[in-house]
Amino acid sequence: MKNAVRLLLGVVTSIGGFIEAGSISTSAQAGALYGFRLLWAIVLAATCVAFLVEMAGRLAAVSHHTLAAAVRERFGVTFHVGPIVAELLLDVLVLTAEIGGVCTALQLLTGRPLRLWVLPAAFLVWVLLWVGNFDAIENSVALLGLVTLCFVVAACRLHPSWSDVARGFVPSVADHHATRYAFLAVSICGATISPYLLNFYSSGAVEEKWTEKDCTMNRVVAFFGMGFGAVVSMGVLVTAAMVLQPRGIAADAFSQMALVLTPAFGKWGFYLFAASLGIGCLGAALEVALNMAYLLGQSLGWSWGENLKPKDGTRFSLVFTLAIGLAAGLVLLGLDPLRLTLFSMALTVLILPVLVLPFLVLMNDEHYVGRHTNGWLGNVVVGLIVVGGFLMALVAIPLQILGGS
Amino acid sequence: MHLVRDVLDKQLLDRDGRKMGKVDGIVLELREDGPPRVAFIENGLPVLLHRLMGTAGDFAALVERRLGIRDGEPVRIPMAKVVEVGIDVRLDLAASETRALAWEEWVGKHLIRRIPGSGA
Repeated sequence: MKNAVRLLLGVVTSIGGFIEAGSISTSAQAGALYGFRLLWAIVLAATCVAFLVEMAGRLAAVSHHTLAAAVRERFGVTFHVGPIVAELLLDVLVLTAEIGGVCTALQLLTGRPLRLWVLPAAFLVWVLLWVGNFDAIENSVALLGLVTLCFVVAACRLHPSWSDVARGFVPSVADHHATRYAFLAVSICGATISPYLLNFYSSGAVEEKWTEKDCTMNRVVAFFGMGFGAVVSMGVLVTAAMVLQPRGIAADAFSQMALVLTPAFGKWGFYLFAASLGIGCLGAALEVALNMAYLLGQSLGWSWGENLKPKDGTRFSLVFTLAIGLAAGLVLLGLDPLRLTLFSMALTVLILPVLVLPFLVLMNDEHYVGRHTNGWLGNVVVGLIVVGGFLMALVAIPLQILGGS
Repeated sequence: MHLVRDVLDKQLLDRDGRKMGKVDGIVLELREDGPPRVAFIENGLPVLLHRLMGTAGDFAALVERRLGIRDGEPVRIPMAKVVEVGIDVRLDLAASETRALAWEEWVGKHLIRRIPGSGA
């Protein structure tokens, strides 16, 4: 019974944590511009991230070491320094985008300018991390995050032609604006396979003291959680396809995307969108800020953990404090949250191969994962992600210039 | 035992399992009458950065001296204090017997403990 509750909670956490600025904006743009045709990209990316998250969780459950710690220890600092600095920089951009997303949601709700909300939003993120503990933060944000299921309800209420929806699951070439189409496919992958998610998930497993016995639970949580989370992303894409595409709205701003729920829910649709965006971004901001502290703490061997009081993890607390301050400053400077989101999603794909490559070694090293080494399928999937990510990275830069906007 | 693969960059744990940084460096002792021997393992930001870029290590040592955190010298732990080398390196001493946690303490004293709700 206790295990059933843990399982359920784990899956709910993953669903509630799936949606944030990146997944909302990439899915909404994909639907608005190409109808259902990019649904396959969400399935592909969600499958990849489910495999990686499962591995990150298994590594932590068996070895009690997180991804960042294991990479430093197994590969040495000269290998580790490049990926870790890249991930930290990416995290700063994503944190800025997510705090900007919270502010955008508050702006939509109140009509007051975005800038006014930057300091309150940043303070909220900081104070939750300062006084909260891991489970309380994780569970409350996840439960609130279930509001994002409204996208799935809306998609069903709009009665799409399900045969058209089904055709979207088959990869296809664009019939117009091929570079924009490819760029969006890459961005969806970047939004879904978030590097911060991998280290955050393995850190959470250590914080919650998982052991070898939790490997089965980890597997179920990873696949069902990411699977159901992807369904929410698909809900965003389908509603955008049904609502925005026929009206020729390109979803170039969050205020345009906010219309997607109105046909299904009337004036409540607007508030539901703002609530989903705000809560999704708040959850992601908490995770990304924590992840930066995890990354540095685990790479340098400090005492780390959200369950520690700040006085017992002083450098850890200092890192998330500074990170939140820096991100808030960048939002105040006027960086547009949506543009920043789309930029960081493409950048993610660029550094993904080098972040994922160590999985191939670590997940086959018995010192770390004992008898729970990867099967052939896991290794093949990691290999494909590395190669696929590398190929996407090769085209991502030109696409960013040609197709990004 | 492979020094670089099995010891370097591993997590250092003290007698009570407290995390006290990573193995940032290894000091070998050259002997006339035998093969070189591991004398110390080293820890500290200057040691780590020195491996990546010499000047960055010097700069870190300067910062440590200026802020009064450490004298700029690495934390040196005699190999005799190492009791286990696995995916972690366990030591037979308390972290407080060394200067390994000097940064942790400095940040706590000057910054974190001054903010309300730090638990101090």
